[in-house]
Amino acid sequence: MLGFYLKRLAAGLMMLIALSIMVFVLLRLAPGDPVDAYLNPLAPLSQAEMEALRQRLGLDQPWLVQYLAWLRAALGGDLGYSIDRAGVRVLPLLMERTGPTLLLMLTGLAMAIVLGIAAGVVGAVKRNSAIDVGLGVLAFLAISTPAFLNALLGLYVFAVVLRWAPSGGMLTPGAPFSLSDLLTHLILPASLLAIVYSALFMRYMRSSMIEVLNQDYLRTARAKGVDEFTVIVRHALRNAVLPVVTLIGSTIGVAIGGAIFIESVFDWPGMGLLMVKAVETRDYPVIMGATLLVGIGVILVNLLTDLAYGLVDPRIQVN
Amino acid sequence: MADVPTAASAFPLAGLSRSPLQRALGRFFRNGAAIAGLLILVPVLLAVLTYPLWWRYAPNSIDLRALNSGPTAVHWLGTDGVGRDTLARLLQGGRISLLIASVSVAISLFVGFVVGALAAFGGRAVDSMVMRFVDLAMTLPPVILLLVLASITGTGILPTIFVISLLSWPVLSRMVRARLLELRERDFVVASRAFGAGLGHLLFRHALPNSLDILVVYASLQFANAILLEAGLSFLGMGIVPPEASWGNMLRAARSTVVLELHPMQWMPAGAALVATVLAINFIGDGLRDAFDPRTDLE
Amino acid sequence: MTMRAYRKAAICAALLAGTMMTPAFAQTKTITGGFDVGPGGLQGNFNPMTAPAGYTWLSTYFAPLVTYDAGLTKLVPALATSWEISADKLSYAFKLAEETWHDGLKFTAADVKFTIELNKNPKAASLLSARLAAVDSVEVKDPRTVVVKLSRPDNALIVSLTKMMILPAHALAGIAPEDMAKNAMWSTKPIGTGPFKFVRYETDRFVELAANETYRGGKPKVDRLINRYFANAATAISALRAGEIQFTYVESDDVPTFKGNKDYTIIEGASYVANYIGFNNQVPLWSDIRVRQAVMHAIDRNAIIDSLYKGAAKKADCGYVEGSLIPKSLDEYAYDPAKATRLLKEAGWDKINGTKPISWITYYNNPLTANVMAAIQSMLAQVGINVVPRALDAAGYNGIVMSRTSNPADFPLVYAGLQNGPDPGTLNLGLNESQIPPVGQNFLQIRIPELNAALDAAVAETDQAKATTKYQDVCAVMNKTLPWGTMWVANRYGVASVKLRDFAWTPAPGGGPFAAAPEKWSIVP
Repeated sequence: MLGFYLKRLAAGLMMLIALSIMVFVLLRLAPGDPVDAYLNPLAPLSQAEMEALRQRLGLDQPWLVQYLAWLRAALGGDLGYSIDRAGVRVLPLLMERTGPTLLLMLTGLAMAIVLGIAAGVVGAVKRNSAIDVGLGVLAFLAISTPAFLNALLGLYVFAVVLRWAPSGGMLTPGAPFSLSDLLTHLILPASLLAIVYSALFMRYMRSSMIEVLNQDYLRTARAKGVDEFTVIVRHALRNAVLPVVTLIGSTIGVAIGGAIFIESVFDWPGMGLLMVKAVETRDYPVIMGATLLVGIGVILVNLLTDLAYGLVDPRIQVN
Repeated sequence: MADVPTAASAFPLAGLSRSPLQRALGRFFRNGAAIAGLLILVPVLLAVLTYPLWWRYAPNSIDLRALNSGPTAVHWLGTDGVGRDTLARLLQGGRISLLIASVSVAISLFVGFVVGALAAFGGRAVDSMVMRFVDLAMTLPPVILLLVLASITGTGILPTIFVISLLSWPVLSRMVRARLLELRERDFVVASRAFGAGLGHLLFRHALPNSLDILVVYASLQFANAILLEAGLSFLGMGIVPPEASWGNMLRAARSTVVLELHPMQWMPAGAALVATVLAINFIGDGLRDAFDPRTDLE
Repeated sequence: MTMRAYRKAAICAALLAGTMMTPAFAQTKTITGGFDVGPGGLQGNFNPMTAPAGYTWLSTYFAPLVTYDAGLTKLVPALATSWEISADKLSYAFKLAEETWHDGLKFTAADVKFTIELNKNPKAASLLSARLAAVDSVEVKDPRTVVVKLSRPDNALIVSLTKMMILPAHALAGIAPEDMAKNAMWSTKPIGTGPFKFVRYETDRFVELAANETYRGGKPKVDRLINRYFANAATAISALRAGEIQFTYVESDDVPTFKGNKDYTIIEGASYVANYIGFNNQVPLWSDIRVRQAVMHAIDRNAIIDSLYKGAAKKADCGYVEGSLIPKSLDEYAYDPAKATRLLKEAGWDKINGTKPISWITYYNNPLTANVMAAIQSMLAQVGINVVPRALDAAGYNGIVMSRTSNPADFPLVYAGLQNGPDPGTLNLGLNESQIPPVGQNFLQIRIPELNAALDAAVAETDQAKATTKYQDVCAVMNKTLPWGTMWVANRYGVASVKLRDFAWTPAPGGGPFAAAPEKWSIVP
């Protein structure tokens, strides 16, 4: 088993290196480098000044030299300095932005889990009733509407018209940190994020629950005189929730990349917006660092999922 | 047991023996939601494909004297900020969105199936290598890829198709591989290989028919996904940019509060069309999934 | 109760207490705005030496020697209370104001000398270093007087000085000039002499300033000033409408939302940026002047101004729209597609290019420009010129146009803008053959001897009245030789909440600077 883990870890490392090389090359192919991004077309620097700046940033060196320098530093844990933000180190910047993204995604997911599972159970128990059909339609609508449309409408209705929630950002600028401030800023984007996920969870929960409800052992429990509520919650739910758990696991893997649309509409200071800004300004160190971080996250999740496959179905020899 | 009805005795044999495909189709057409989906999708497809024949305005004709007009007798849905007819842009946008979606689905179906099958049937070494490659494709942060590609290739139909396909095929290959791994251990496949069946034979005679349900369901869901993805890309300013029309970039106009409030007809039809089409496809996809699952009949 | 229950209760109490804490800052007066939204702003840039824009915000905590008045018509004193130019134009003597730096030390002439020398130093990567080329030496006569000596007369010097924020010698002398450009100090503890002093910068979110109580113009009426960053103008407008900020720049497309709304004041002003279609002189497409004339005649500029700009733009038949700079007889290049087609035929357009697509790039990324370019594309298509508009982000555009390895075929046509005021000489940078890179900004490599002569004469002219005539000549030559297809100069807008009192703002190019008197701004609850 240990050999297996080590092999996967080594493979993962190789992959991160391959990933970083790919992104490095792609970036150099895009028109414009960090110095170009820095210029304003109305007041550019002279070419001599631009060259001097490029030299200071090490951008005039051959690609291989630049890449190896980055790699050597990265292996030692130093992701360098952001070109766009003076004096800011990349790793703390990424950590600073991962927090808000995870907060947003996990809150949204938590709301979606509670809502989705509850709705799925209700739908399964009251199959084909008006409630079930109604919930079904809502779920379909939710997954058919693009996230940014929800976000735009939600923002307009709740923040601009009703003024029930702030129009963006994570905290009120200038105010000292307070939990209630954070929560008021969090609730609208997280709820909008939760809409799509709760619909997905609801559908899977419902179909899984229906299967479980037909099982013999439940019939036995009922025959034994156990009340319906306990049958549903303690016996059926526990077993039905398994596939949903797998689904939740895979959605978390996506979480690190950030919900770019929600972050964009709500100006949420997370990884999504950071990456957009970094590409706009060709901030190479930040882009490389973010790629690495997201890559590590996805590889870990894949590893865990593969292990889960092996555990669930012993016929599948993963290796 | 005689007391428990079996599938065989539930259906009298005489004259009603149908192939699995026919049974699947039957189940599909008994599904109300799926029919509703078809009833929405087919007219949309027809309208979108034939509009130059019956609508007099072109999507890119500018008319500076009729800016931001509301619905009128000539412009049924009004005009946008440069005087282009909204209905024409809506229909053209539908063409573009559906075109991008279908081509990218076709590409990712092909690539995903071939890669997944290779991994499952190619042996341990090939499996390892291929799956690492798939992981690599999945770890590329989509945001970075999209943004950087947009700046290299520019925006437009081909880059958008390329990006969407690139993002979608890894998921399918994993699912295909999982299904085929299970299939590989089944007796008839073991036998087939013992007889010396080659990779091509295995792929097309055994793997493909047995993964058809995954592929069909994936195709329908991915089609919906691709439409949403293209809309999202165009909304962010990549994907399809004006003056080309697309549902996503028509919605992008709604970022401005003026358009959102004062000119709702410029974005609402695109939003409604988007939601309706994706909804229809989801219904159909759901119907297909139920159709391929024989246990549906037992409910 | 068990330990577990105690713990639960404690956590609940803490959470409750946390949610009930009201921010104490509610007692202080704060003005929040999107000061760096729009083309005049530059989010994330804190170094005044390398700032091509963002002067509105920088002026709240830094100050130059001289600045423009709020109407952008004349120069007024800032840190220099008065100045005298010697008869031979080679010596400028500035009398300086009494002021203290934000860290308590006195502002003296030594700081001015330090600032000028730092800006001239090429290692500091200052945008002003070329503009200070005429400065030979700086002399400190006494703590309140500084004399700048020039090697040759330079009319533009005083204007260049408006963009030079004075920096503290005592705080910055220890930093090597080559470390200045991206130094972390600018965004953590910059020291200036303005009415507000720097408190902190929350990365990518906002900048906070606090009132400088000992400011010579009086204690500021508000306690804090916050500059909120927004990813785009749309989010800023949402925040304005939700009441979270009191001011922001607004795209002209979005102004109708605020018309007639008594909670907001719309501020309108000339942008001083001439928008033009730039013909790349390095490709053979545009060499024949008839082709360029055809482009001008094919575009119905009045229709675009009326419909897309809603009348808030002035048609430009040369680089200037200011009445005094326009000579009597200018060719108006009226909208005449028939004439355009004829001119193209005479020039043999079919053989030059025909209907092959021509890439037309720009760095403007707003919906208005997209619509304008779409309209122009359609108009040009009607006479047989097939342009394909493409909006790039700043990095992409700069990479294609300004890079030393740039390929002219990548940018045969551009849509851009150049500042044409308040100092009309700014156009020289983009039009004069002597300003072809690497020296200057003439990226289209325009080489028109008649234009060079006119520009050189106008820029060198020291007499105000004669200069006006010379600039009229420049206008006439531009109109005749069409180095650019000049389009218009548009107005720009800002919207402020009516709760703001004595708030001064004008959409100056680059944000100014101009005398906005931030210490007088106040807010009613």
